[in-house]
Formats: sequence, structure tokens, C-alpha cells
Amino acid sequence: MTSEKPTMSGQTMIEFKDVHKYYGDYHALRGITATIKAGEFFSLLGPSGCGKTTLLRTIAGFEGISSGVVMIDGKDMVSVPANVRPTNMVFQSYAIFPHLTVEQNVGFGLRKDPRSKAEKAAAVAEALEMVGLKGYGARAAHALSGGQRQRVALARALILKPKVLLLDEPLSALDKKMREQMQMELIKLQRQVGITFILVTHDQEEALVMSDRIAVMFEGEIAQLADPETLYRRPNSRKVADFIGTMNFLPAEILSEIDGKVEVEAKGFGRLTLDAEQVSVAPGSSSASIGFRPETLTILFDGQTATDRESRAEVVEVVYYGDMTYYDIKLEGTTEPMRLSMRNVFGRPVLDIGTQTRVAWSPGALVLFR
Amino acid sequence: MQSKPKVRFWGSEAANGLLMISPTAIYAILLLAAPLAMIFAYSFMTDGYLKIIPEFQLCNYFGECHSYKDVNGARSVAQTYRGVWSDPLALTLLWRSLVISLVVTATTVLLAFPVAYFVSFYVAPSKKSLWLFLITIPFWTSYLIRVFLWKVILGTGGVINSGLLEIGLISEPITWLLYNANSVVITLAHAYAPFAILPIFVSLEKIDRSFLEAGRDLGESPFMTFWRVTLPLAMPGVVSAVLIVFIPTIGDYVTPNLVGGPEGKMVANLIELNYKKLDNYTLGSALAISSMAIVMAVSLLFLFLNRRFLKGNKR
Amino acid sequence: MKGGWFRGYTIAYLIFLYAPIVLLPIFAFNNSTTVAFPLNGFTTLWFGKLWEDPALHRALSNSLIIGISAAVISTALGVFASRASTRYAFPFKGGLMGLIMLPLVLPDIILAVALLTVLLGIGTPLSLMTVILGHVLVCTPFSIAILSASFQSLDHSLEEAAYDLGETPISAFRLVILPLVLPGIISSLLITFTISLDEFIMAFFLAGNENTLPVYIFGQFRFPQNVPVILALGTILVCLSIALLATAEYFRRRGIAKTGGKDTGGFL
Repeated sequence: MTSEKPTMSGQTMIEFKDVHKYYGDYHALRGITATIKAGEFFSLLGPSGCGKTTLLRTIAGFEGISSGVVMIDGKDMVSVPANVRPTNMVFQSYAIFPHLTVEQNVGFGLRKDPRSKAEKAAAVAEALEMVGLKGYGARAAHALSGGQRQRVALARALILKPKVLLLDEPLSALDKKMREQMQMELIKLQRQVGITFILVTHDQEEALVMSDRIAVMFEGEIAQLADPETLYRRPNSRKVADFIGTMNFLPAEILSEIDGKVEVEAKGFGRLTLDAEQVSVAPGSSSASIGFRPETLTILFDGQTATDRESRAEVVEVVYYGDMTYYDIKLEGTTEPMRLSMRNVFGRPVLDIGTQTRVAWSPGALVLFR
Repeated sequence: MQSKPKVRFWGSEAANGLLMISPTAIYAILLLAAPLAMIFAYSFMTDGYLKIIPEFQLCNYFGECHSYKDVNGARSVAQTYRGVWSDPLALTLLWRSLVISLVVTATTVLLAFPVAYFVSFYVAPSKKSLWLFLITIPFWTSYLIRVFLWKVILGTGGVINSGLLEIGLISEPITWLLYNANSVVITLAHAYAPFAILPIFVSLEKIDRSFLEAGRDLGESPFMTFWRVTLPLAMPGVVSAVLIVFIPTIGDYVTPNLVGGPEGKMVANLIELNYKKLDNYTLGSALAISSMAIVMAVSLLFLFLNRRFLKGNKR
Repeated sequence: MKGGWFRGYTIAYLIFLYAPIVLLPIFAFNNSTTVAFPLNGFTTLWFGKLWEDPALHRALSNSLIIGISAAVISTALGVFASRASTRYAFPFKGGLMGLIMLPLVLPDIILAVALLTVLLGIGTPLSLMTVILGHVLVCTPFSIAILSASFQSLDHSLEEAAYDLGETPISAFRLVILPLVLPGIISSLLITFTISLDEFIMAFFLAGNENTLPVYIFGQFRFPQNVPVILALGTILVCLSIALLATAEYFRRRGIAKTGGKDTGGFL
């Protein structure tokens, strides 16, 4: 298997400069500016209607843009039609040509390739082997399962060795097991071929698992562009925090600000000081709140003591998940229940509703939204 | 703030769509819309012998009308005739056409509904297209010969009479079978049957079967479930069935000509007479326009009544 | 038995539908000039007579010329219209499609006289050509009804996938769309040919001095002694129609299966 290592890893592959797109009066893309690096696994994540698919299609050339610039590998793509762009796409519906065999589908893009018939056939066989469909070449397209169709779509796109592979929600039609398996295979495949992958998805877990970097989009704009860990731990707005995983919010009052360090008071947590990097400033928001993930709070059982800080709380709801137990707790002095998750390690009891308990937490795991 | 750019027309979806449809659309405009507009205009003009004199008048519709011919360069009256709405014969034929096609429509749709219901609700899904194919085949086989066969079947020396005489059920041939409105209704109802079945079938197919179970679950009898759930949901199909049978039958030519006799002639026969035999295009046009106006008025009235029915049924 | 009452009714209804068609061959082979019971013995005389009538042969060749031309032209127009209506949104779409589909419900006689008026108005002599013009008008809506189903079941991303893999809009149409709608096109050709072959009114008004098959048949109705010959001709025509329709239905279903669509049944 030849693996083409990207020659210019880390360099810019795709560049958006202030891209706008209108459908009639509808403003679908509102000033997208971003760069995607060569060899990166990049995801566009957002709810349906946020413009992520539109943005992907402007790269493929299926959608024109109203203003701005889209560059691929340093070339302006404005007047380049889809069929000559150095990109290939895996469609949401896979778009496997139903009247052709698997082989003919995979070799579809080689029609104008100057290579000999035998060489092309070898390339097709190689591509099929790469996606784990060795020996399926003669099958009729409509006789394939969902997962197999997706592999054919992948082989068909990768055989042309595009600079960028575009994936439009490729896993959404698969069941949960198959989806998780394909996620792993896609990651491996991307590492193997080294091609820039751009994935559109509405599934935050999928984006976190697969991507080097993620652009979270809302209403035609990129809300945050970061690597998965930053996105999870330091979301830059309550909206992003809400969309990715679960986050609890507690109202907070800002007491003072010295050298970027912010001193706040929040019911249940008391008075604490946060570093500058823990503070997200959302434009137009008037009230401040503290955010934290369910797993950053830990229930203290008899005899345990907190390494950092601790608060008193009451259990108001228990949901048992097997490997995990989710608790809704009320911190002392608050009225809103907060979500807390505990791993069910052997010997650890599951608490009942109404139990008074203590929770441990650390100011470093909190985020302040203001 | 970014200002919204001007949308280009060429290359846009609208332009591509219009370009794509233009051959068909231009054909329809030139050979359908323009001709219809032209007979509309003709119906207000004056008939000269084998030509049209572009003088506006209403007499093709109301009152007495003259057609002219040139005699030595001078215009002289060739013929005097009555406008459509002042001519007892034309009114009789229009009225008869309307009544016949209403009866045909009602008969066809009522007889067709159980068939559509059977195919949709009782036939196994894999066999449905076979049944539909069986139902549609007679429709596609030579209309002319089918109509003629009814003449042969219904006539005094025809299949039914000779058959009944042969087995001794009757001693005299039945004469009321052919050459009257009855035979026209039977023949047309036969010809338009698939037209009525298919739209009703399609709308019955769209009904989610769990609605019917819900109706039963909520304590309605099978009949009331049909009346309050199935029928209103099937109504769009019934409406298209009614219109698709009613509109063409009113202008049918072959059936009244072959099996109608003098008592069963319809407006199409009069239109043909004016166009082919009498060369009176202005009166012919006025007849065509009048029948279209009647069709349209009745169709709109029907759509209006149907809306009332559906509203009344909601409660 | 489920739906027993309905089944009985439907079978009775089908007997009513098929009664005339079943009688057709019975009397076409009956050795009598009158169409009545009792039957008089088997003969193929009436079929033999079909070969001897030059006017019939002329009418038949006219009908074939008209039928083939009308089928090809109306199917071509149908491809444009159904592709446009299933693929694009554009202004006046409803109005234009309504106009194009209008002949489906408008009485044929009105179409015929309107067309006649215009053709004579601009001084076009009546000929086979003018009948073709009229038949295209009548056939196009049927073609669109059939083809729309084919184009509708076509996933738009198939076309985009072809562009994405380097094809131009024209080669994408040739390599992907055309093969997928081909069964629909064949079905449309067969159906529109059947309609044209069977159409009477348009031909009656627009053929001038020429005859088509139905116009010839209509003329023969005046002569009672020719009735058995007409029944023989009718038997052949009905068999031909059924063969054409069955083929059309086969292609229509194959097309739907190919594009992975769901069979909604029927041509209309």
C-alpha cells in the first residue's frame, strides 16, 4: 500500500476570507474566515441549518459564494467548476451510481485518466482493498449494505488522490455500532493517506472523537474554532458549551478584576478567583455565570476529603447507566439542580434521592461566562 | 455591514429551469395557449364565407347573427343564425351534455370507489401494480373500437338482444338500450373508469393505516370511521377523479356520434358540424368557449361544495 | 377471505371493463356478417380481407409515421419539462406546467378546433404534419407523467457525484442520468405511440385529405357489411396495444427498481 505523505504538512490547504452566501434574502453564510491546514482532519460541527453543509459545498464547488474568497492550495476557486477542483466528496446519501457495479463506481472518475486499462483496474482493486472491500468489485451497487456503500463512496473519492476529501455527514445513516466502527476506520484511513479530510457533522461526540480541529457553527457563523480538548474544556460561549457535551451553569457575581484575574462570588461555590484563560466574554451578555462539566464535581464518601475545595449538596435525582451514575444535586444555597457524573468503580455505592452529601471540586475546572 | 449583492439571473437556478422547460413551454404556448386565445377572439368576430371578418360583435353568443359573403365586391348576407345562448338547439345540447357528463361522473366515481378501496386495502402490496395494470389496460385499447363495440352490444340486433332472444328470456328486442342518453352514459362510464379509479387509489394509499385503527380505538363504528376518517382523507383523490372524468366527457364526440342517436347527441357534435360542415368558425368557437365556461363554472362550484363538506366534517 | 364483498364487486367490475374486448375476437372469427348470437362457425375470412384493402394500408402507414414522430417529439419535450419541473425552482413554474398538462383534461374536440383555427388562420395546409403537431400536444402530458416519476426517484447527489468525479454537466447527463431514466423514456415512447395510434378527434380534424387508422375505421362504421372486418382489425390493434403496454410497464418497473424508488403503481 502506497501512503502518500503530505508534502507540506501544516501548511494552509483551504482558506476562507469573509465568505458570504445568500439564498434570495436568506443569509446562509455570514462572513466565514478560517484556514484549514494540509493533512488535517477538520470538522464542521453545528445544528441543522447552521450553514456547515453549505460551507462544505462551497469547497466542492456545488455552491457559488455571494462574496469573499475560497482558496484551495493557494488558488482562488471563484471561477473553477466542481469537476476540475482538486477535491472529492463522500455524499450523505453516498450517491452510489445504481446502474453500475462496485468496480465501475470506484473507477468512474478514471474515465479521462491516460493510464492503461490494466493499470486502472489495478488502481480500482487497490482502492477497494484499502476500504476493506477486496473481492466485491463485480457486485451490483444496489446489492450493498449501508456500510458497504459508504466504503465504495470512500474508495471512489480516494482513488483520484484529491488534495481534500469532503465528507458530508457520512455516518449519519448508519446504526450506532457500525458508526463507531467506521469512525475508527476513517481516522486510520486518514492517517494512512495523509489527505486533508473535512467532515460535516451534527454529532458533537463524532466531531470530538475524529477531529484534529473543529469549527462550531451557528446561524452561518463560526462560533469557535479549536482543537477538541480546548472546545470541551474552554468553550468560548454558553452556546458552544451547551452544544458540546453537558455543562452546568450557576449565576455568579463579579467582584473585582486585577491583571486579568477575576474574583467572583457564586452561590454554592462561594468566593473564588479565576485565571484570565478561564474567562469567556460573550458579546451582548449582561449577566455572568460559572460553568462546569458534570465530571468535574466528585461526590465525597465517608472519610474522603477534597484535595482542593468542597461544598455541601443534596441528591435530588439518580440515573443509573451501568458504567456511570448521573446525579442531579442541589448545592447548598442554590435552587437549580446541577448534573454530576460518577464512574461506578467496584465497591462504590449508588446514593439514594434525598441523601445529604459533600462534593469536591477545583476552581481550575470552572469557566466564567460574562 | 456587508450589503447584499445583486443576484445574477443568467446561470441562476431560475434561468436554468426556464431554459430547460422552454422547448416544451414554447410548444404549449404556440400550439395551445395561442389557439385557445384565438378561438376566444373568433367567438366575438363576424363570419365571412370561409374567412373571418374582424368586426367585434356578441351575436355569436346572444341574439341573431349574420354570416356574409362577397358578391361582386359587395358584402351580402349569406346566412342568418342564432347565437349559442339564444338558440334552442344549442341550449338543448349544452344542457344534455352537462346532465350526461354529471350522471357519467357520479356513476363512474361511485362505482370506482369500492374498486380503488379494494385494491388499496385488501390486495397484497406486491400484487397491487398487477391489479392496476389490469384496470388500466382496457383504457389504452382503441377507444373508437370500444365505443363501436357498445353499439354492437346494445343494438336491437346486437349481442345482448340476440343473446337474450336465443335463450328465450325475451321475445321482442329491447330498443331502449341504444341510440339514447342511456347508451351514452353506459359507454362513457366504461371508457373513463380507470380515470376515476387511479386518483382515488393514490389518495387511499397515502392514508396512514394507524389513523383508521385510532378511529376504531376511539370508539367509532367501522362505518363512522370510514365517514369521519377514510372519506375526508380520500377526498383529494375523489376530487381529481370527479374533475378528470367530468371535464373531458362533456366534450366527447365519438360516443354520442356512434351510440347516441338523435336523442343522445352532445355539444361536441354541434361544434364539429359548425367547423367541418357549415364552416361557421365564429359560432363553432362560441360553442367551444361556452362549453368550456360551463365546465369551469361547474368545476369551481364543485370545489367550493367539497370544501364546505370537509369543513363540516371536522367539528 | 378478507374483503370478500369487495373482491366480488371488483371482479364483476373487471368483467364489465373487459366485456367489449372479450367479444372482439369472438365475433372477429365468427362466420357471419351480422354481429349477433348464435355464433355461426369459425372463419379467418375477415382477417384475410384486411390484406386486400389499399386504403387501409395507406391509413396504417400514415398512422405509423404519425405515431413514431409524435412519440419521439413528445417524449423529447417530456424529458425537458419533467427534468425542469423535478430539478429546478423557477418563476411561473406552476403556470407553465399547468398549461403543458392542460390537454390531459381539456376535451379533445376543443384542442382540435383551436388548433385547426390557428393552422388555417396562418394558412398551413392540413397534412400528416398537422396531425403530428396535434398529437404531440396530447401525448406530451402523458410523457411528463411517466418521466416525472423517473426523474423524481433520481437522487440529486448522483449528478453532483458525477461532477465531483470530473464530469461536465453534459457528460454527467450522458453517463449517469440518461442510463437511469432510460427505462422511463422507453416506457414513454411506447405509451405515447399507443395514444397517437389510437387518437381519433385530432386526426379527424387535422388530417385534411389523408386518413389515419382510426379515421379510416370511423369511415367504415357507415358500412354494416364491413363490421366484421373492422372487428378483425380491432382484434389486431388491441393485441398490439396490450403488447406495447405490457412492454412499457416492464420498462417502467425496471426503471423504478434501478433507481431504488418505490412503485406507486399505474401510469397516471
